[in-house]
Amino acid sequence: MQNAKDTFYEVLRDRVTAVNAALTVFVRGVVRPAVVVDENEVVGTVLRDCFRLRWAAIRIDRSGSAAMYAMTCELRYATAGTEAASGLDRGRAIAAMDATLMAALGPDAQPQWALKKSFAGLASGGAVVNLSSRIWWSDVVFGVLAESAGELQRMATVDVWSYQEEGEA
Amino acid sequence: MIDSEVKAASPVVRRVRAYFAPVTRSTGQPAVFDPAQGGAFAVNAPLAPWVDLGWVYEFARSSGTKVEAVRTGVPAVVQMQVRTEIEAVVSMKFESWGKLQLALAAGTQQMNLLRTAAGAVPSISGGLGVATTRLLPGSTASVLQVGTGLSGFSVGDTVAVDVDYTAQTGYVGSGVSGAYLRTALTDVDYVRRVTLNVARVAAIGGGALTLEQPLMAGVPVAGMGVSGVVGFCDREGSSFFQEWSGLFVMEGQQGERVLLHYPRLQAMGGAAEASVTAGGLETVRLAADFRALPVKDAVDGEQVVCFRSYLLA
Repeated sequence: MQNAKDTFYEVLRDRVTAVNAALTVFVRGVVRPAVVVDENEVVGTVLRDCFRLRWAAIRIDRSGSAAMYAMTCELRYATAGTEAASGLDRGRAIAAMDATLMAALGPDAQPQWALKKSFAGLASGGAVVNLSSRIWWSDVVFGVLAESAGELQRMATVDVWSYQEEGEA
Repeated sequence: MIDSEVKAASPVVRRVRAYFAPVTRSTGQPAVFDPAQGGAFAVNAPLAPWVDLGWVYEFARSSGTKVEAVRTGVPAVVQMQVRTEIEAVVSMKFESWGKLQLALAAGTQQMNLLRTAAGAVPSISGGLGVATTRLLPGSTASVLQVGTGLSGFSVGDTVAVDVDYTAQTGYVGSGVSGAYLRTALTDVDYVRRVTLNVARVAAIGGGALTLEQPLMAGVPVAGMGVSGVVGFCDREGSSFFQEWSGLFVMEGQQGERVLLHYPRLQAMGGAAEASVTAGGLETVRLAADFRALPVKDAVDGEQVVCFRSYLLA
């Protein structure tokens, strides 16, 4: 399951960068592509103008020959627009982020699958290992736009599926 | 190599993609499809002569084949089974409205509404067309040489390209039979009225019309003409049956592929639409139903109606 989560993060990060390389975020002293995994960051970190990825529901289907995991990925993003425009461009900014997400994960962003990888070896100086099955995901479902203190916020969800391979945690 | 348990898992597919190819009606010869050699084609680039009809919804197929028990003795005991009927039907809803989708969904001949001449007498399935533009030598399946005939066309127009009708009977239409005539007619545009050799104009210049897609009949032959088309018309109740080879592709998420090949599919219903309602509006989709007809598999001479192939990941 962790491999599927890590693989999906890598796919989303790379595709968002490919669609809009200028979309970056400054986190813990580093400028990174604008995709952040909430559970990997310091609790209470507030970030705008990036996609914050959070794993929600998990469903396991064991009716087939291999266990199939379905995980709901929440993608939260918010913007107050730019200072240069005094925030008056916040509507355009959130629309640009909607379009970026659609271009990265939507039905026109083929393929809607990726070879599953294990990143576990990186912690001990090893390499990323390609596994033998794929992850795949649904189209993006965009939630209602919310507004709070001049900030526009949205949550989109994507279902991500994978098979549990033999020996995989 | 995929994990053995994952490899054995049931395919998980998103949608079904449909491809159709003409059947040579005069001989009943369907399009050839070899799943071993051509089954892994790119979904956006089917092998000739297959035409991509896009994604279809609510694809359903069912077998009507009947298996009966043969009993003998007292008391009667089942000794063997026999197939007493072989039948299969397929139904689907098309995502898009194109000439071919309309023709297939109509089930019968589908008329091109030719651009009418000024003052043409009103006619129930389209009036007298404007004078046909003659094709010049050098035309290809994608570029129509028309010389000064350009003036009658604009980018975005749809055109029908085919021969003049000269009182022939039987199947008519280049590349694909668009209708069957029992008796001769007098309409010189009749073949262009029913032809499926239709395409949209992508560019105009240099005395030529460049088409968005190659014509289904390939390179035009001498004597063909071009007529502007303003729309399409089909009729409930006419006698012609559309017959095509059908190929349906389901791509599994692990790279496997299921191919359903029906060498001969004949329309089994009339024109009908299915509506999907959302937000107070209705999306109208073309619905089509087909009955599979038999072919003989040259490998062993068996008479069959459908081939299901499963390509491994």
